[in-house]
Amino acid sequence: MSESHQGPGRPPPPDALRPVGASRLDDLLAAVARGDEGAFDALYDQAAGKVLGTVRRVVRDPAQSEEVMQEVLLEVWHSAARFDARLGSATAWIMMLAHRRAVDRVRSEQKAAQRELRAATADIPYDEVTEAVETSLDRERVRRCLTALTELQRESVTLAYYRGYTYAEVAELLGLPAGTVKTRMRDGLVRLRDCLGVE
Amino acid sequence: MEPGGSDMHALVGAYAMDAVSDAERAGFERHLAGCSSCSDEVRELREATAQLGAAAAVVPRAELKARALHAVTQTRQLPPLTSPASRAGPAGAAGAAAAGIRADRTRRLAPRLSAAAAVVAAAVIAILAVAMHGDQHQLDQAQRRSQAIAAVLTAADAAMLSAPVSTGGTATVVMSHAERKLVFTAAGLRALPAAKRYELWLMGPRGDKAAGMLAASRTGMTSPVVVSGLAAGDRISLTVEPASGSKRPTSPPLLMLGLRSR
Repeated sequence: MSESHQGPGRPPPPDALRPVGASRLDDLLAAVARGDEGAFDALYDQAAGKVLGTVRRVVRDPAQSEEVMQEVLLEVWHSAARFDARLGSATAWIMMLAHRRAVDRVRSEQKAAQRELRAATADIPYDEVTEAVETSLDRERVRRCLTALTELQRESVTLAYYRGYTYAEVAELLGLPAGTVKTRMRDGLVRLRDCLGVE
Repeated sequence: MEPGGSDMHALVGAYAMDAVSDAERAGFERHLAGCSSCSDEVRELREATAQLGAAAAVVPRAELKARALHAVTQTRQLPPLTSPASRAGPAGAAGAAAAGIRADRTRRLAPRLSAAAAVVAAAVIAILAVAMHGDQHQLDQAQRRSQAIAAVLTAADAAMLSAPVSTGGTATVVMSHAERKLVFTAAGLRALPAAKRYELWLMGPRGDKAAGMLAASRTGMTSPVVVSGLAAGDRISLTVEPASGSKRPTSPPLLMLGLRSR
């Protein structure tokens, strides 16, 4: 793509890459809070794939993942008025609901039949980032930032986030003290935050 | 300053990725409420984890959208919070949303509102009792239990059943087949001799399974019992057993309730 159409001093706004008529997720969520079903329709288009992708990583089973995705989106509709923009972005809120619900789902099943931790190391989670259906610049950026972590940080972060393991489970899996894993998770996320340029 | 504050703070990364136990989550959220630098850090780390999630995006099957849009037309929304409680920080907001859903689920289960309120009230009373008289371990246990109860009450398929107990009193069950759990509570049960207790059973195609003892209660209002491992075709029943519990029911059921989902 050439930048020659752009006038000097007028970089394209970030929204320029979105389809015409699409709005920022934060604005959509505010409209959803006012009961705007059309805004929910647009929010679905922007958020559903991210929600399902996150849930799939943790839950694995496709049918259950779809179920959890629906629950999350319904919760977004239900609780939209309780979202507080001062506490983070709409994306972060929705992804938090998605991840937490996915984790709760696997943990409640885990109690019935203790989940096995085997085979996880043979299947390096961060490589899965490249397998997904869509390709995007964001995805590439995340992949690059993940490779910038130390191996221990990366394993701790990806096993926790993409597998839904607790730090105690990750510690067990990696044969490390729980305190070490706790620290690596924090350091890894801080480094990831800096690399991704999160405000 | 909370005891063990710095140790608690080391949990921030694990907390932002939900990589903590329920008890640790609750403990950390208490810590967050009094630590503004912590909530800033949680907020920033959450933005980073959100991008980890976004990077995993896939394309959902097209028919899911119609289903979601339809569900929305059938679902009431929570009003915004207007009290200072809404300013409680990220944990407060998440907690408030969860509490809101809890309350609203209860509303959706009206006309039998009073029975649902009884379940919630009994849960709250049980936790308060522990908070006043128990130690940290017991409090954590009570909180885990209250979260298990909330998980059932807020499940999308939560359904409530209520039935009389043949010797007096009323049993109320809120069940979720999706969670494979139910919450059982009873009010107005006849008092038993000290050596006896009420015991719950899940009776199903695979046989009878002990599902928990009701704590002795002077008021006849039992604190809620969470029963896991609910399977299709199960019924719940209540019998009187020796206080130590039985392997299988040794007296005729005082209650037999089919747990079919609607």
